[in-house]
Amino acid sequence: MRPAFPVRLGAAEESLIAQLKAVGADQVAERVTVAGLPTRRVEAYHYTDLKTLLRTIPPLAQPANEATGTGLRIPGAFALSIVNGVVQNAATAPEGVIVGKTHGGVLTNRDDLLVNVNGVLTKDALSVTLEGQVQQVIQIDHRIEGEAAHVVDATKIFVADGASVVILETFSGSEAAHVGNHATYIALGKDTNVTHVTVDLSARATSHFSTNEYHLADGAQLRTLVVHAGANLARTHLFPKMSGAGAHANVTGLNLVSDGQHADITMETTHAVPHTSSQPLFKSITRGRSKSVVQGKLIVARDAQKTDAKFMHQGLMLSDDAEILSKPELEIYADDVVCGHGSTCGKLDEDSLFYLLSRGIPKAEAETMLVRGFIAELIDPIEDEALNEALQGIVDTWLLGK
Amino acid sequence: MADYDIPTLKEEIDRETVEQVLALDVDKYKYGFESDIESDVLPPGLTEETVRFISAKKEEPEWMLEWRLDAFRRFQTLEEPTWAKLHYPKIDLQQISFYAAPKSFKGPKSLDEVDPELLKTYAKLGIPLKEQAILAGVEGAAESVSTPFGANVAVDAVFDSVSVVTTFREELAKVGIIFCSISEAVREHPELVKQYLGTVVPVSDNYYATLNSAVFTDGSFVYIPKGVRCPMELSTYFRINEKNTGQFERTLIIADDDSYVSYLEGCTAPSRDENQLHAAVVELVALDNAEIKYSTVQNWYPGDKDGKGGIYNFVTKRGDCRGVNSHISWTQVETGSAITWKYPSCILRGDGSRGEFYSIAISNGYQQVDSGTKMIHLGKNTSSRIISKGIAAGFSDNTYRGQVSAHAKAKNARNFTQCDSLLIGDKCGAHTVPYIESRNGTAVFEHEATTSKISDDQMFYCLQRGLNEEEAVALIVNGFVRDVLQHLPMEFMVETQKLISISLEGSVG
Repeated sequence: MRPAFPVRLGAAEESLIAQLKAVGADQVAERVTVAGLPTRRVEAYHYTDLKTLLRTIPPLAQPANEATGTGLRIPGAFALSIVNGVVQNAATAPEGVIVGKTHGGVLTNRDDLLVNVNGVLTKDALSVTLEGQVQQVIQIDHRIEGEAAHVVDATKIFVADGASVVILETFSGSEAAHVGNHATYIALGKDTNVTHVTVDLSARATSHFSTNEYHLADGAQLRTLVVHAGANLARTHLFPKMSGAGAHANVTGLNLVSDGQHADITMETTHAVPHTSSQPLFKSITRGRSKSVVQGKLIVARDAQKTDAKFMHQGLMLSDDAEILSKPELEIYADDVVCGHGSTCGKLDEDSLFYLLSRGIPKAEAETMLVRGFIAELIDPIEDEALNEALQGIVDTWLLGK
Repeated sequence: MADYDIPTLKEEIDRETVEQVLALDVDKYKYGFESDIESDVLPPGLTEETVRFISAKKEEPEWMLEWRLDAFRRFQTLEEPTWAKLHYPKIDLQQISFYAAPKSFKGPKSLDEVDPELLKTYAKLGIPLKEQAILAGVEGAAESVSTPFGANVAVDAVFDSVSVVTTFREELAKVGIIFCSISEAVREHPELVKQYLGTVVPVSDNYYATLNSAVFTDGSFVYIPKGVRCPMELSTYFRINEKNTGQFERTLIIADDDSYVSYLEGCTAPSRDENQLHAAVVELVALDNAEIKYSTVQNWYPGDKDGKGGIYNFVTKRGDCRGVNSHISWTQVETGSAITWKYPSCILRGDGSRGEFYSIAISNGYQQVDSGTKMIHLGKNTSSRIISKGIAAGFSDNTYRGQVSAHAKAKNARNFTQCDSLLIGDKCGAHTVPYIESRNGTAVFEHEATTSKISDDQMFYCLQRGLNEEEAVALIVNGFVRDVLQHLPMEFMVETQKLISISLEGSVG
């Protein structure tokens, strides 16, 4: 549509190319040279134009031992930590948890620059194997410390057949213009039950990027919850794949954005085989001049008959000048399926607010109640009490931090 | 709507539907015949000379030629868009002839002077060009065996690159309505054309619109003066006849303050092995309190059962609700074309303006449809509604692509979108790509979409009442698309229900 001209490379791209070339990743470097960072013309980045949002990429992170402490502490959790991309030694693992390291990237290679960069820049990835009924919450604590740094890390998790586990990933660090590029790959064995919660609590100056890939075998049950409540620029890209009959995924997420923030949850779910289901549910709450992006694509393969998938996004605007941008997509090739998607956005319901006000509840409190009610659908299903409480705490903190 | 005599209408549909289904055995696409009319055809190729030639043929004033040349220069800097979910070989514009007109054509004339061969073609298509007979109220004058248009319709008939006749012009002129071909409007009403042409779809809006701006040949021009309610349906019937040609229609409709117009558009083409290009631009302008209803039954040749031939339909349609409380409504039934790339949109600029989009897109065989709408909310208290039904059968792909956006100043913007897809068979695909952009807190948007197949229960219910499978599918599909059909003008409803049974023929078993 527009005249073709060579991409003009900015400072961010120049430093990324140098970092890639330094590790011999010429192919990915070439890709950046030719196409630059993804712009709005790349569909998956339509509302998160990295070329304009990411002006600089700091030097690759140096190993750090100093730690400012985790952003979220869950009582009784088994904590693993990755500081500045380096997997730290862990305490003795509880029964059924095997911790190790694997070399290189963990994600399936695909046409996505952040995935490619993560693949070539990851040195040692954390690997965790989980068996049986793991009682403790497994927390993987990602931190970026010190001066502004470009951090790339990856985690590979295998959940053995029949196992059940709750995994929490937290992202936090020092107040500097870090760029974090995190990747998590989770393979769910047959009849597993996995809850995977990721919470971004990075400092505001940080740009946070996560890519989560899930493979579900027969009968696997997955619940995910992505919470963006930290970085000024946060994006989580989800790739759940239903590869076994009876697999079901509740893919959920919450963008909490305040003035000046931009949060993006982009999902691409593939139903590859017959008899699978998924129920993605995302919510956005915006305040001030902020932006929340939710894109969700459901792909139903040619022979994935009897797929049942329902995508939902609900946006709540607490200010007049916020933006909620959503793109729920369906790509369906099988005819005997039930697929749907919905997307709504608006303000707090005037009637409900009036109901509470007329019963003597002050406005601020009434609003908080309604917002909590709005989010309850996402947090209530998290059964682990300590984790549930911690998540509720994050929402409350956000609500108070006007 | 409630005033219609529903029982008799129903009988009518049933009888005709049955006849239609019977007729299908022999010939699926009934408009595929070719008229043997000698034509003046410009040799294939696109250069500045082509643009000058078209402009000269149309006896256009200098400013129009300049406008075209400017568009052509911009066009040369553009690249074909590739974002749509469509697959087709690159179109070589140098292989297409950009102008074709019947030899007998010497400018628009009265009905008596039109080449009888042409009249025969339109009679065969069932398009009523016999204005006198209709006015006299003679039954069957329109010979509307399969016409999408009923009797009381003013028609602008566009054949390849020229408008051959426009009926009821005097009738309409009495109330001040201008209804003529766009070429004529450029000559006769330059002030209106200058004021509005290209203001809704800018010259370099997109690749195909820019191409159209450079080489557009004919189309309709409608101006409804202040306070006038157009007494009859206006319509344009597009026919591609000549081989190797492209058709580039340009339509401009202006509804001045407090006016109303309902406009219908139909199109067909001969069955050929080659792919022909149709790149149209339609602009609607609704001023204060005006209402425009634009309905399309798109029935271009869809190609044969192996996906050979068919029209490439790349269309830019946009309405501008420029005045307060203005209202534009698009209704479309898409059954033809090998490729459809079409997004009739509304710019809701005036405070309190309303935009509507009702669409049924049916794809069969190897057809590919990528269609939808854009609702751009700019004014306060604007509202829009989108109802889209996509039905994919055979090996086809059917995509809904729509955008709803509310500007920061569009206080209390309201949108409701519902897009449903129905899949018939396991070799087809249905896709939905909505872009929902809310840029202010008072906007309320709702979007809903579902995809499903015809349920066994519904089929069983119909079958056990003695319908055969194909009839049952047609009945259920008709029910599925009812929301949209209800918004079509009366004359279209009957035709559309028949079309649906045509397009679905052979999809079961």
